[in-house]
Amino acid sequence: MCGIAGFTLPFGLLAEERRVRFGNRLCSMAASLRHRGPDAQRGLLLDGVALGHARLAIVDLVGGVQPMRDPVSGVTIVFNGEIFNYLELRERLASHRVFRTRSDTEVILACYLERGIDCVLDFIGQFAFAIHDPRTRALWLARDRVGILPLHYTRTNEGLAFASEAKALFAGGWRTPALDSRGVKQTLQLWSPVVPRTVFEGISQLGPGSVARWSDGHLETWRYWDPDFGVEPRAEVDPARAEEELGALLVDAVRLRLRADVPVAAYLSGGLDSSLLCSIAQSQLGGTLNTFSVGFADPGFDERAFQDEVSRRLATRHRSVLVSLRDIGELLPAVVRQAEQILLRSAPAPLFRLSRLVRACDTKVVLTGEGSDEIFLGYDLYRETRVRQFWARQPGSRFRPALLSRLYPYLPMSRQGRELLQQFFGIGLDDPKNPGFSHLPRWAASGRIVRFFSRGFAEEAAEEDPVASVLASLPARVRRWKPLARAQYLEMQTLLAGYLLGAQGDRMLMANSVEGRFPFLDHRLIEFAAALPERLKLRGLSEKWILKRLARRCVPATVLQREKYPYRAPAAGALTGLDAPGWARELLSREATRKVGVFDEEKVSRLVAKLSARPAPASEADSQALIAVATTQLLADQLLPPAPVPQRDVDAVELEAA
Amino acid sequence: MNPRARIRRFIVETFFVDDFSDDESFLRSSIIDSLGMVELVAYLEKEFGIKITDAELIPDNLDSLARACAFVERKRRIRTSAA
Repeated sequence: MCGIAGFTLPFGLLAEERRVRFGNRLCSMAASLRHRGPDAQRGLLLDGVALGHARLAIVDLVGGVQPMRDPVSGVTIVFNGEIFNYLELRERLASHRVFRTRSDTEVILACYLERGIDCVLDFIGQFAFAIHDPRTRALWLARDRVGILPLHYTRTNEGLAFASEAKALFAGGWRTPALDSRGVKQTLQLWSPVVPRTVFEGISQLGPGSVARWSDGHLETWRYWDPDFGVEPRAEVDPARAEEELGALLVDAVRLRLRADVPVAAYLSGGLDSSLLCSIAQSQLGGTLNTFSVGFADPGFDERAFQDEVSRRLATRHRSVLVSLRDIGELLPAVVRQAEQILLRSAPAPLFRLSRLVRACDTKVVLTGEGSDEIFLGYDLYRETRVRQFWARQPGSRFRPALLSRLYPYLPMSRQGRELLQQFFGIGLDDPKNPGFSHLPRWAASGRIVRFFSRGFAEEAAEEDPVASVLASLPARVRRWKPLARAQYLEMQTLLAGYLLGAQGDRMLMANSVEGRFPFLDHRLIEFAAALPERLKLRGLSEKWILKRLARRCVPATVLQREKYPYRAPAAGALTGLDAPGWARELLSREATRKVGVFDEEKVSRLVAKLSARPAPASEADSQALIAVATTQLLADQLLPPAPVPQRDVDAVELEAA
Repeated sequence: MNPRARIRRFIVETFFVDDFSDDESFLRSSIIDSLGMVELVAYLEKEFGIKITDAELIPDNLDSLARACAFVERKRRIRTSAA
């Protein structure tokens, strides 16, 4: 994987003039993405456009240099990601085109020259790229179907600037970093801002499955792919047959993702998804798979027993890193700088530490299991939605809501009282057709953070209603889908694309120059799963039914039988206990809180005092609030003025003005 | 300070809310989450010297300031009359 950056500039300038006026901006942008591509950073100034690239060499180590230009048409590309089916596409095109390299980058160029931007429909992969087409003077931006790789842009006096990460847009001097109050409020309630918004003023993100065309001073954006969970399920499905088809698809998704000119390893969490992937990968690699995992000293979060069992059974070469509370506190500043987002949980921090271990073992690529819960209905949210829908059909029933207490066995429930629990999960029960029905309890919980806002910030963001914003972004057809399908769509747009793949995914991997690959997010698999009847995914309250069936052959029974266990990491204790890092004391102080201005200093200091004083574990609400406040403070401290704009290693960028 | 004012102050301080009416549902208006109820119960037991059984953990007893006050009053009367 890599980093890309670039911008439009006036047409008709002499090469030397371009270099003098824009060379430094381009080099600064490429240099700021060095963590994404430590192997080489290059910039190319063309008539009307500047393109920059930071390369992590994985396929065609010698030939895949970027920016890459087609000598005949002048069409030029910078590309971050992988087109996994590039060999097949290349074969198809080989009869009427001579390829100069073995890279997938050249295959994108060839496909674009053949059928224009619709070429994205041919790609099985994860990508963010920009193509400059001098024949039409258009700049195209494209992002993969589910949003594995990031792509940001901003309007400039010269037109448009884009980059993998916002920090490159700041490094290029296109924007002075400032918080966007609507983006901040959305992130705090929904876990991510609503596309195209970000937490930074003036910085937009291209949505998943979208392309954008910039020409003549206009930007046009549209979706070329959108998950269709409303598809009519296949009528007659034999479970055994479906299981076989699923197995074949998954094997192929893994096969394509093992393609690389460097070794591919895997993350092993000890749950169903990663165990299944590791098993398939191990058999394809003939027993040479390396696996990596995170362990915690706190048994409430630790999954090492399962990780060890699976790695023993599969005979992988397994390494794990033990992450302490102190580590999490110390890592968080770097985590936020990389994530460029406000977080509600500390879970990205251990993954930052894990990718460091991977890199230290000379590994650049890992398979990872994200996406399975979204497409096979694995999350508790779906079970909760099913129970709440069942209940909403007879709101007076005492039996129906009682099923709720079966949903969260890992949370301390003893003194909550079943009926009180029901009162909470009854939010929105009177309107089961509401498109946000599935997410209302979660959003109600996270939405409480607004009570920590300072008066000034609350007023600034008063017009913003995050729930209304995200629901307004739903395509009309999604509103007609069944409740679980709507829940899946919302989950993919908000939590998956905006948080799990971004702040917790790509950013934590790329922080240490490691590429993640996601077999469950192969769009063929997403489309296959969407067309399966609901009962093959969520059977009663038993999640991922068909996937578990498939896994019986290769995953230990103890893993299959364990209760669904979401990946979580210790949070509040890392910032308030005896081991609390110096930055936390400093940035959570009254003075620092007042200076950033988002949160109320009085309430923040009471929250810190409450969490420091209590011997018992913090409640989820308080813990989330503390992480939200701390990461907002860190975001301001790390990225907003007077923090210096990244300017390291600019001289290392190789610049060419053609 | 009367019980109502004491409970209100506890809720304001513990759950960081500014303003809510006596009859507003804690849970449906997201003033307190279900885990926060544990904190409220522990506070009521300690502050008013009462014991709350699991069977009493129901919205009618606890899910608004008015309900919680009435519940505490009932419990204290029972204790007093038993004594």
